[in-house]
Amino acid sequence: MKNLPLHVKIMIGLVLGVVWAFISSSLGWNAFTIDWIDPFGTIFIRLLKFIAVPLVLFSIINGVAGLSDVSRLGRLGGKTLLAYMGTTLLAVTVGLLFVNIIKPGTYMDEEQRIKNRLSYEIWLDDNNMGLAKDGRSFLSDPEYQQYLTEAQQGREMTEAERANIEQMQSTAEAQKSASPLQFIVDMVPENIILSISSNQLMLQVIFFAIFFGITLVLLPKEQSEPVMAFVQGINGVFLKMVELVMQAAPFFVFALLAGIVAKMADTPAEVFELFLGLGSYALTLTAGLAFVVFVLYPFIITSFIPKLTYREFFRNMSPAQFLAFSTSSSAATLPVTMECVEDNMGVPRSISSFVLPIGATVNMDGTSLHQAVAVIFMAQLHMIDLTIGQQLVIVLTASLASIGAAAVPSAGLIMMIIVLQSVGLNPAWIAIIFPIDRPLDMFRTVVNVSGDATVSTLIAKSEGELQKYVD
Amino acid sequence: MKKLALHTQILIGMALGLALGVVCIYSPGLSSFVVDFIKPVGTIFIRSLKMIAMPLVLASLIIGVANIGDISKLSRMGGKTVAIFIITTVISITIGLTLVAIMRPGDSLSEETRMELMSEFDANAENQINVASQLKPKGPLEPLVNMVPDNIFQAATDNRAMLQIVFFALIVGVALLQVPKEKGATVLSFFNGLNEVVIKIVEYIMMIAPYGVFALIASLIIEIAGDNPSRAWELLQALLWYSVTVVLGMLVMMALIYPLLIKFFSKIKYLDFFKGIRPAMLLGFSTSSSTATLPVTMDRVEKHLGVSEEVSSFVLPLGATINMNGTSLYQGVTALFIAQALGLELSISAQLTIVLTATLAAVGTAGVPGAGMVMLVVVLEAVGIPTAGIALIMAPERILDMIRTMVNITGDASVAVVVASTENALDVDYAHQHSGE
Repeated sequence: MKNLPLHVKIMIGLVLGVVWAFISSSLGWNAFTIDWIDPFGTIFIRLLKFIAVPLVLFSIINGVAGLSDVSRLGRLGGKTLLAYMGTTLLAVTVGLLFVNIIKPGTYMDEEQRIKNRLSYEIWLDDNNMGLAKDGRSFLSDPEYQQYLTEAQQGREMTEAERANIEQMQSTAEAQKSASPLQFIVDMVPENIILSISSNQLMLQVIFFAIFFGITLVLLPKEQSEPVMAFVQGINGVFLKMVELVMQAAPFFVFALLAGIVAKMADTPAEVFELFLGLGSYALTLTAGLAFVVFVLYPFIITSFIPKLTYREFFRNMSPAQFLAFSTSSSAATLPVTMECVEDNMGVPRSISSFVLPIGATVNMDGTSLHQAVAVIFMAQLHMIDLTIGQQLVIVLTASLASIGAAAVPSAGLIMMIIVLQSVGLNPAWIAIIFPIDRPLDMFRTVVNVSGDATVSTLIAKSEGELQKYVD
Repeated sequence: MKKLALHTQILIGMALGLALGVVCIYSPGLSSFVVDFIKPVGTIFIRSLKMIAMPLVLASLIIGVANIGDISKLSRMGGKTVAIFIITTVISITIGLTLVAIMRPGDSLSEETRMELMSEFDANAENQINVASQLKPKGPLEPLVNMVPDNIFQAATDNRAMLQIVFFALIVGVALLQVPKEKGATVLSFFNGLNEVVIKIVEYIMMIAPYGVFALIASLIIEIAGDNPSRAWELLQALLWYSVTVVLGMLVMMALIYPLLIKFFSKIKYLDFFKGIRPAMLLGFSTSSSTATLPVTMDRVEKHLGVSEEVSSFVLPLGATINMNGTSLYQGVTALFIAQALGLELSISAQLTIVLTATLAAVGTAGVPGAGMVMLVVVLEAVGIPTAGIALIMAPERILDMIRTMVNITGDASVAVVVASTENALDVDYAHQHSGE
């Protein structure tokens, strides 16, 4: 056991966690799992999160101040943003391809879909939104009148669901009505202590740290030196903390997974049932995400860096990927992502400490892909054909929303409301995919984290600083 | 005034405050002057102590752990500390229960007074019960989860998150031990410097201690007397027997348990210990806040009792949040008193449940403001005593809180001395020479 590499141990913990959850729930021990095992998973996430903010703060200061030439920073920043946008666009395109080829929404029974369509048109009428985007009107078609009464009854939402959706809608509303430059305004902190005391204001911390780092470079040596030494030392301390925490990661991951599965449903049968209804959607999404992780990223990275083999890429990245899967939080995984990219990939700290924290907040390839698949799936479910043009709108809004909603908690669903509204669909539909959002979130996070790591490696390569895999 | 020892100065401040407070009761005009212009001095004093508590704990604990130099020693010390905390807590609850069983203060409460008390403090009691019910629906491991901060800067902005700071400082200390020396040196010297600065600030604050204590006591007397001093006095008298029981229990702890503990496990004389810790005790009494007193407790234990910094900086902040002997004793007495007053007989197993829940509650409610009362509600619920009964004991609560805090602090300090002694980190001769200063 001692000699196994970390990622293998984490994987064992992960599998054991799921197995444990199924065994314990079939024996009726779910309460025990939630009371006595799940808290350790929470502790793990809390540990990683409290390390993340100071780590971002100090490692960016350290990285930026380590750049001999500040003008390089501008170039680096531009490249980073371009690369992130590029990967996001690619990911969304992959999502669109998959969902258009597989058509997961059409597997449902025809009658139900007609009813869905009718209720959608009723909703459009109620909100004075005119005809559906594809120009057809099932309401005025006598062929479908027989389903009308049933469609009017519609699907009853529970009180909690409705409140939840309404709240998210208002957040999305605020997000949309703000000026397009609002996210730049939000990047500048009003009070830096306030920003670092909230896990949601990471972009502000990044802004402050970059500014602080640049100022350090511009100061005379004798003034900046003690500050630099302190920052370096404390950065080392936090990196050491990550190492200490990771030693216990296999156990923590076990607890986390056991807790997640135990909380999802009381019996294994219920879990399967949840998946069954939305199976085609979940499969399409998972296939798309898997394609991005296992084909797209490795293809991009190996074509730019021939020396890095497919297997080695995964060997380097897998601890971060497993952790992303079990925590479903890019921010919590960030400390480990940084460790993997620096120690295994050989990306210099001055680049990784800059590129990765930005990626963790603005680059969400998996989430954007999810948006595309989910929105088209819901349209298909309601018999609405979206044109290429409308699908392109989805690509664009999804990519932009993924940057703009960076600081919003549970950003994924709020972004989806924005996207749904942009093509005139009913935002309340997110309730359809809500039940299986949590497990799919795990896959999404893996893609997000892998995307960040890929981009940071590519940027290191383009800066000629990737010593390990140079030809 | 300059020549007098600190504790004498504080005592004089208390006496003068008491005198002023009593005078105020009989002259309403003066009392509004005191509330407007003298009370703020006391509030400033408490605030400045609280202000310094968080950085002090952070810096001194990081330094302390990094100086231990050996993680196995740290975990041994941690185990010992927690074990002694639990033992003293159990002892104190048991003493409380025993005393109530012997003195039966609940029987002397007449039906009439009971109804009166209940109607008077009903709203207040309901408030406390609400706070407690919000705490309830959580897993058994919740205290453990709450110890780990979610965001360290946020924890640092909240005085109630002291345990999270302790946890964070421990990890930083451990990580500092493991990074290469030359990298950690700057960080270590930074926290060393910070620590020295903070300790200096504590010294400055202590200069105004006599005035602060004077203001606190004067305004406290006015507050207790309220608009109707004779009525307040009546209420206190009705619960006299109960209060006597609590105070007696506290005395047993201070005059019997702690001396025994210190005699058995360390070479320090109890008189020296008592002299050394006296100012902190007085401060605990006047502020009724362990957190506010913490900086002074640390100062006294290190500089006047010869306990090494690594032990005191570890044991005392932990003790201030989870070891509350006075409070636990009070729980025991009060729970049983309420049961007696309401005519309920508690079986031995119910009393054992009290011991258990009060011990757990002491750990679980760490960091909840007014924790004493909230813990009490949890304990009452555990043995099925009607929680509305806490209305009975509201009247003398404020005064008993002062005495409780004093015992809590003495308890923490004795544990620090014992742990230091068993770790060979206690300088007995030093304590003998400096305890009186």
